[in-house]
Amino acid sequence: MTADKEKRRAISREAARRRRRVESDVFGDLSGLLPLQPSVRAHLDKPSVIRLTLSYIRMHTLLKENAGTNAGTRHVIKYQPLLKGGGEQSGCGGARDKEEKEMEEFDASRETSMYLGILEGFVMVLSTEGDMIFLSDNVSKYMGLSQTELMGHNIFEYTHPCDHEEIRNNLRLTAEEVWYGEKRDFVMRIKSALTHRGRTANLKSATWKVLHCQGRAKVCMDPSAVSCLLLTCRPLPLSHTLLSRYTFTSQHSMDMRFTYCDQRVSSLLGYRPEELLGRSIYDLCHTLDTNCLNKNHLNLCLKSQSVSGQYRMLVKGGGYVWVESHSAVIPSVRASRSRPGIPQPLCILSVTYVLSGVEQPSLQLSLDQILHRCLT
Amino acid sequence: MCGEKSGLVGQLWEKIQMETCTACPTKTTLSSRSRLLHPCIGVPGPSVPAPAPAPAMSTSNAAATGGDGALGEPADDVLVEEEQSTSVSLPSLMTPPSAASMSLGMELTRKRKGSMDNQDSKCVSIPDVDMEDDQNRSDGEDQHVKVKCFREPHSQIEKRRRDKMNTLIDKLSAMIPTCNPMSRKLDKLTVLRMAVQHLKSLKGSASSFSEASYKPSFLPDEELKHLVLKAADGFLFVVGCDRGKIVFVSESVTKTLNYSRAELIGQSLFDYIHPKDMGKVKEQLSASELYPRERLIDAKTGLQVQADLPIGAARLCSGARRSFFCRMKYNKISVKVEEKESQANTSKKKESQKYCTVHCTGYMRSWPTSQLGAEGEGEVDKQESSHFSCLVAVGRVHNHSSPQVNGEVRVKPTEFITRYAMDGKFTFVDQRATTILGYLPQELLGTSCYEYFHQDDLPHLADRHRKVLRSKEKIETNCYKFKTKYGSFVTLQSQWFSFVNPWTKELEYIVSTNTVMSYDHSRAGRSGNKSEQSSNPKASEDCKKSPPIIPGISSTPGTMIYAGSIGTQIANELLDFNRTNSSPSSGNVSPFSLPQDKSPQTHNQISNSVPNGETPDMEIPGKSSSESEPQGAAFSGGETLMGENSQLDLESVVGPGLSSLSSDEAAMAVIWSLLETDANLGENVDFEEMHWSL
Repeated sequence: MTADKEKRRAISREAARRRRRVESDVFGDLSGLLPLQPSVRAHLDKPSVIRLTLSYIRMHTLLKENAGTNAGTRHVIKYQPLLKGGGEQSGCGGARDKEEKEMEEFDASRETSMYLGILEGFVMVLSTEGDMIFLSDNVSKYMGLSQTELMGHNIFEYTHPCDHEEIRNNLRLTAEEVWYGEKRDFVMRIKSALTHRGRTANLKSATWKVLHCQGRAKVCMDPSAVSCLLLTCRPLPLSHTLLSRYTFTSQHSMDMRFTYCDQRVSSLLGYRPEELLGRSIYDLCHTLDTNCLNKNHLNLCLKSQSVSGQYRMLVKGGGYVWVESHSAVIPSVRASRSRPGIPQPLCILSVTYVLSGVEQPSLQLSLDQILHRCLT
Repeated sequence: MCGEKSGLVGQLWEKIQMETCTACPTKTTLSSRSRLLHPCIGVPGPSVPAPAPAPAMSTSNAAATGGDGALGEPADDVLVEEEQSTSVSLPSLMTPPSAASMSLGMELTRKRKGSMDNQDSKCVSIPDVDMEDDQNRSDGEDQHVKVKCFREPHSQIEKRRRDKMNTLIDKLSAMIPTCNPMSRKLDKLTVLRMAVQHLKSLKGSASSFSEASYKPSFLPDEELKHLVLKAADGFLFVVGCDRGKIVFVSESVTKTLNYSRAELIGQSLFDYIHPKDMGKVKEQLSASELYPRERLIDAKTGLQVQADLPIGAARLCSGARRSFFCRMKYNKISVKVEEKESQANTSKKKESQKYCTVHCTGYMRSWPTSQLGAEGEGEVDKQESSHFSCLVAVGRVHNHSSPQVNGEVRVKPTEFITRYAMDGKFTFVDQRATTILGYLPQELLGTSCYEYFHQDDLPHLADRHRKVLRSKEKIETNCYKFKTKYGSFVTLQSQWFSFVNPWTKELEYIVSTNTVMSYDHSRAGRSGNKSEQSSNPKASEDCKKSPPIIPGISSTPGTMIYAGSIGTQIANELLDFNRTNSSPSSGNVSPFSLPQDKSPQTHNQISNSVPNGETPDMEIPGKSSSESEPQGAAFSGGETLMGENSQLDLESVVGPGLSSLSSDEAAMAVIWSLLETDANLGENVDFEEMHWSL
């Protein structure tokens, strides 16, 4: 009796083992077919293999649809030698000479990485459910997590809970978008495992990173294909860009009143910096753009960084210019570390790009513009 | 198990309290230590600015300082201050009281040991409470408590894992075409096998990547590039710095600017740039020589920093980064423009040259010329300098509609936008108002909108005005008559909303979107005027002559005083909300509530004042004003003062003197009723609702 039981147990154990082995083999085959580095491949667990397979298949169906329209546009880059070097900025510039030899081989990938480098961001393809179908491999530079770690996961696992509603709204496709891709432009906070020193930390100790996502919806009519969002996600290009004469910086209190403005504003908008102090940006904007600024302000209050999009600012004597502001809330530096008192009020730093010349300079739209004219 | 836990917690709590009592001297040092600690936590790196009320941050603070917080008042204070800066409510810190108290015990023992590494570990902000807790739990007697309390049964974990796997398998089977036709649910292994087959077939069709490739990418590069440009909605271009020659441009420029690559390559970029933006682009291209003068800002402090970068550095450095906007020509001979673009551009057709705003981001690059020229780069070789520098950038067509078009083109010409101060003074007038009202913006600005409202509409509008100041919603007005520059009236309907500063929650101003419902009897003249927008001043003069309307200049100052004060009154009313003014003089109610209370439930007085049942007619606000005007007169005919008034409306066309009187009267009536409405506010609202329910 017991022996029989033992025997049966042994048989079933053996069967289960065999089943598992077969399964593992299939998983091995599957992961072997995925375009992954061997080192990465070795560390994948079974759900990850499926996750990545899913992403891979989805991307292919997506690109297959594209292929129809893009077939004619495939091209060979003629100016490759010129562009080659561009890839370097992504940090692989070390052994230049050595790379020279390998260049031919990796031209394509380097060029692509240059594309991404110039973009200063990564590409994300989101399904309408929020699955991250695809992420370009430079995502690790921004999130500290590798492409393979993230791909196939849902974006809601990685974004700030307060932003979920907005992301959901952006994932939603409306009826008219079925006919042509609608553009998307939003700011979200995403987990970043990067530490201040650029090292990768545990995901549990992740901080929030503000990303500006721009892109478009792509609707697929084929049922097997996926409707998705093609997005570029980049940190705000606030720091370390060359500020031209057509750009001015300003600081605002949290209610968007000017607390500082640099000199260039006077050549662009006509106001002297000191006369702007204490005035609200809402007084200076075209009323049609109030919503745009309001959204920007809300983004700043909630997410601490924002891109305004285009809006019109009134010029002192009359007329308006089109501008776009990139803003961030900055914590003030405290006087000293030993003084733990209430921190200085926060302020908003804006870099405003002037996009156009003064439009309709003879037109006085606001009361302020009239008063200025009267005074001068 | 829970009972056991709470018992233990209780024990622990007692122990802690004992410890806190005994450790009184330590307490102060602790709190001071925590003060020292705060800067580390409170000042985040560039990636996460502190003001973001990110829950993760707050929990990290909670985790790190929760223990101290429970210690006593001084530490608590520190906490509050800290939390104010991150605008997170304090209670959230204390939500898991047991956990907090437990970790408190651990913190305390650790801190008393004075282990510095513990503090260091806390300097890194840790968003996950669990982790901190784990850390705390790692020692001491509680360990087994947590093991029991926090670890789920193994079977649960296994079940979750299986569920997850099954959903993944389901998803997979949905994506594989060979699985789809089979109606029955396939087993896991079959799905996986089919997936393998499917992948193999995909690989066969797609451009295959070699297994030996040193770094296989998930997508073929060519595809990825397309994806990047598609997602970016832009094109890549390379422009030589010295002459602005376009050295390279990606194929996708066809989609964005509607030029073919061949057309652009070799051309000067400046030929495709808006003349006014030339300087801007030149500045960006030439700035490579201006390193010392470059202005950069540090996002952390907001201060401008001087970049001293080595000139001619071949390496891409942060200073070489470029980000600018410029307007670029859009090829107008568009055979197949994308639907969306053509839609956006239809309105632009009249413009001779179309531009779109392009946001260019990229880097300056320079190469020694020796490296170049492999593929017939003759022109580049000709460069006199040893370095060929250029801008490598992605141009993205700006998301929003192009600004070159005048603002009004996008919007219906029968609509204009105004902005009122709280008291109804115009502070902003859209230029489209001129074509509709005849006034130049500067004529309206600074005056009160009440000066232009027809007296019959004053009560209603005043009521709406009051409403909008107190409501966050958009408020629709009925149709009302607005006096144009020519003395005629145009029927408008407005949507008002009070714009509230998102930060201070204070009202900034009232935004009004005004839609033209119908023009007055002087319509013919006006519409003619409308068609020739640009020649407005002239047209207005014509208009003045053609209809027998005299603007009534003499009337204006008088009106200004009274009508304007309606708005002021309402604004003040909001300001001293609590003021109660009980002067219910019923005689004044009637003119005020006349047009708005058309329901049968109106005051007896009013219905008395209406001799003949003309009320229903009045109810249709959209009716041509020529009809409703005399009716309004009939209404007010009941009042002695209004008797004059009624003529006025008919004869405002004729005599300016009378008109001034009448509108003054009307204004006064409104003011009186306003004073009164403070007392009768509830009643008024009731009327309003009744009116709307009709």
